[in-house]
Amino acid sequence: MTKQIMDRAAADNVYLHKDFHRALNQALIYVERVFGAAAVKDYLRQFAGTFHAPLRRAMSERGLDALKDYLADVYSDEGADIRIETIPCGREPDELTLHVKECPAVSHIRKMGLTVSPLFLETVKTVNEAICSGTPFEAGLLEYDPETGRSVQRFRRIAGRPR
Amino acid sequence: MISCKEFIPAYSELFKFLEKKGGKPAVLDFWNFLSDTYLTNLRDLVAANGIRGCWMYWSQTLNEEAADFRMELDEEAGEFSIVMRHCPSKGLLNGLTHMEPYADYCGHCDVLYRRVLEPLGYEYLVDLSETGEARCKVVIRRLGRSPSGG
Repeated sequence: MTKQIMDRAAADNVYLHKDFHRALNQALIYVERVFGAAAVKDYLRQFAGTFHAPLRRAMSERGLDALKDYLADVYSDEGADIRIETIPCGREPDELTLHVKECPAVSHIRKMGLTVSPLFLETVKTVNEAICSGTPFEAGLLEYDPETGRSVQRFRRIAGRPR
Repeated sequence: MISCKEFIPAYSELFKFLEKKGGKPAVLDFWNFLSDTYLTNLRDLVAANGIRGCWMYWSQTLNEEAADFRMELDEEAGEFSIVMRHCPSKGLLNGLTHMEPYADYCGHCDVLYRRVLEPLGYEYLVDLSETGEARCKVVIRRLGRSPSGG
């Protein structure tokens, strides 16, 4: 029998705790079971509306370039295979399409042998819509595979909205 | 996608959402659910390895979360402890200027882990008096034996 000590500073490690995806999945399952599917969307709207306020401000100021930077960072942190296409219009793009080959969250949950909440796509759809809320842009989920989380997400300027 | 790095704010907002729906009992009910369905790995590790299971569990999670901590395992005494010098989750929430963390955010650690460990025969002691500075202390002790292992 031994005595063991572990002493770590934050800088000793890279912050990447993939099991948080599993916790979020459990949260969606719980909220749907207790309060219904609409509550899941309400919750995700509340979260994205609050947490992404700085991103929404940046999108209103810098347009889809701000969103492009955000998406590239978030997905690359988790080692996702993505492709971002933009349709330029003047100095900044008017449309951005994100192709995600496999969602890191869905693949982690599946790897653990667990059921993915049928509402997990709302972490993309509802969150993206909330990110765009109050900006000159709108979000659309063009394709989504619930098995892998593969998706095609589109963001574009709402017709008639000024630059 | 809500990324791993965004989970903690999402978690905090969920507690606020649930409290608005059904008060603190709704938050506690969710914490109990999460303990039962999410912390199965901690339960399995402690059931199979005793107090060492705590070391195995937190060795992984605290390193993946890049925490600033010191933890200690004394198998003979049946004791495991964590001194969290800077909790990455509470530290992140404290650093967000555009959103207010759930007031009892750190309460989830008490409820979730206690619910797993007490039925397995362990005492779970947590000092949450310094969570405003993202610090806390946890001691987990096997019951039925003196701290010296006798």
